[in-house]
Amino acid sequence: MIQFERRTETSGVWTTISFAVASLAGLAATAVLLASTGADVLQVFGALVKGAVGSPKALATTLVKATPLILTGLATVVAFRAQIWSIGQEGQVFAGAMGGYLGAQLLAGLPALLFFPGVLAFGIAGGMAVAWLSALLRNRFGVNEIISTVMLNYLAVYLLSWLLQGGPWGETGGTISYHQSPMLPDAAFLPALMGSSRLHAGVLLPFLAAAICALVMARTPLGFEIRGLGYNPEALRHKGVNIGRTVTLIMLSSGALAALAGAIELFGVTHRLRADNLIGLGYAGIIVGMIGGLSAWGTVLAGLFFGALASGAVYMRVLGDVPAALVPAIQGITLFLFLCAGVLARYRIVRVVVQ
Amino acid sequence: MSQLFHEAIIISILASTLRIMTPLLFSSMGELVIQRSGIWNMGVEGTMLTGAFAAYLVATLSGSLWLAVIAAVLAGILMGAIIAFMTAVLRVDHFIAGLGLNLLAGGFTLYWFQSYIRGRAQPTFSGFEDVDIPLLSDIPFIGPILFSQRALTYLALLAVPAIWFLLYRSRHGLELRCLGENPKALDVKGLSVTARQFAAVTFGSAMTGLGGGFLMLGFSDRFLADFTAGRGWIVVVALIAGNWKPKGVFIAVAAFALLEALATHLQVLGAKVPHQLLLSLPYIASIGLLMGLRLRPGQPARLGVPYTRE
Repeated sequence: MIQFERRTETSGVWTTISFAVASLAGLAATAVLLASTGADVLQVFGALVKGAVGSPKALATTLVKATPLILTGLATVVAFRAQIWSIGQEGQVFAGAMGGYLGAQLLAGLPALLFFPGVLAFGIAGGMAVAWLSALLRNRFGVNEIISTVMLNYLAVYLLSWLLQGGPWGETGGTISYHQSPMLPDAAFLPALMGSSRLHAGVLLPFLAAAICALVMARTPLGFEIRGLGYNPEALRHKGVNIGRTVTLIMLSSGALAALAGAIELFGVTHRLRADNLIGLGYAGIIVGMIGGLSAWGTVLAGLFFGALASGAVYMRVLGDVPAALVPAIQGITLFLFLCAGVLARYRIVRVVVQ
Repeated sequence: MSQLFHEAIIISILASTLRIMTPLLFSSMGELVIQRSGIWNMGVEGTMLTGAFAAYLVATLSGSLWLAVIAAVLAGILMGAIIAFMTAVLRVDHFIAGLGLNLLAGGFTLYWFQSYIRGRAQPTFSGFEDVDIPLLSDIPFIGPILFSQRALTYLALLAVPAIWFLLYRSRHGLELRCLGENPKALDVKGLSVTARQFAAVTFGSAMTGLGGGFLMLGFSDRFLADFTAGRGWIVVVALIAGNWKPKGVFIAVAAFALLEALATHLQVLGAKVPHQLLLSLPYIASIGLLMGLRLRPGQPARLGVPYTRE
């Protein structure tokens, strides 16, 4: 008889096998999903790969699409490692874009060297404000952060909707309202890295952010407290750490990272404030962070993978008629399979001789 | 604003309060069963969304609303089986499992929806209509509020005492509450904790799926992205606010529904308030409500703690 038995220590090989099986199962599940709607599976996969890495332009799109995912993924890592189940990344992305847009109004005309750090700081401040609210609600009023962050997500979405439609920031003059702000001036576009390509300078920030996150996690007292809060909050309390202050600090860091994603989308991609580019970035970041094993560099890898998928999906849509929502569907499946693989990796298969 | 106090408007507000309560009652009574069994299911939103989508699909394909109701229930059972497998069998963290389910449901329903309407006008259906109960619906004031509702609304109202009876007056209910308070007591008697939690989650999710189905069939004629718009989370808040008791949850759901009914009527009456603010009211109210609820004496002791023998 074959039985599962809990492992006492993790095995690198077995963990790798578990996640490799999960990845293959994800591929198979995607094929089944595609077949369920009558799509040509091989053609779609071919288009996805070509659109993800098939040309320099595809690679650039992959990087641009990966940028917000890595940042919201890192936001997830910081919070979830401390077992703070904040899912406010979605609203913080919106707050980051709104804060950035406000900054662009106030700082217009400054030289680029001051303007861009300034507007990104405004964006980050927006996300931190929302994150601070959730931290306050948890520390002062004992409100579960999952629920408070979900509610704040909806409030952020409605706030942007009001600002663009009925509020002060909507584009006026046109006969149709597109629920978006006017275009930012050219000076507010993040500079391109290579000539006139769409590869904006913002794509470098997630890598910088990941390096800082990895360093902070491994080498600093804050990193120790983040991990400690996850493993054993009681021990941390006895050590004299102010838990409430740590929770606030973690949520602020997480909010700052997610907000940066929203601000970069605004200044690097859309160049105007609108909701449709921002929707789902925060929730996708949760998936990216968790599939990245809640480690900074794992999140970079997962973010690049899903960025490639999103870039491939753009190409796929041009070619065929497979819906755009294939991407979130694949993200959902992969997350679930990776969760199962995470459990599997903690067990060993043993043969039991039945007497 | 003063129009709000005309009799016809008051009747309309109260009647729509009952209608808005219907999906929330199904889903919250289902979630109550789940949470009393110790599983802190955060997948309500995804389960309702899947139920709503299944109902839309079957209603437009078959034209039968009752087949669509069955589809919503089956979709709920499927979602429940996934959640139960993750939480009761694999013992994944309950929050993570629920979150994962919501993301999975959001992606899948949207993909199938977009595939379904690809290249054509979106199919619609005509949903449930009011059933006038003879004589009773003619009573002034009370009649149009209470006795001229969708058939499923009466079932949802009946679900509250039914779930109360299940929880407090049946052997299953005793075991169920024990799962949430002290699962070890069942385990040492040789009764399977996993099997009972699995049953509780799939049963509760069937009701949650039904709630999503009614949201589709009783309010709308078509599916949209993010159709449930946070109602699953309102259900989670209602459970906490109702202190995990059927009566309390009923009152919390009624309060949320009244708020939403007031907001929609204010919008129709042309109140000088941005409609986004009116739409935000349930979420603001949720945060406000939870701020005042630090003490939660009714919370099952083992809620959200995966059961293991060690």
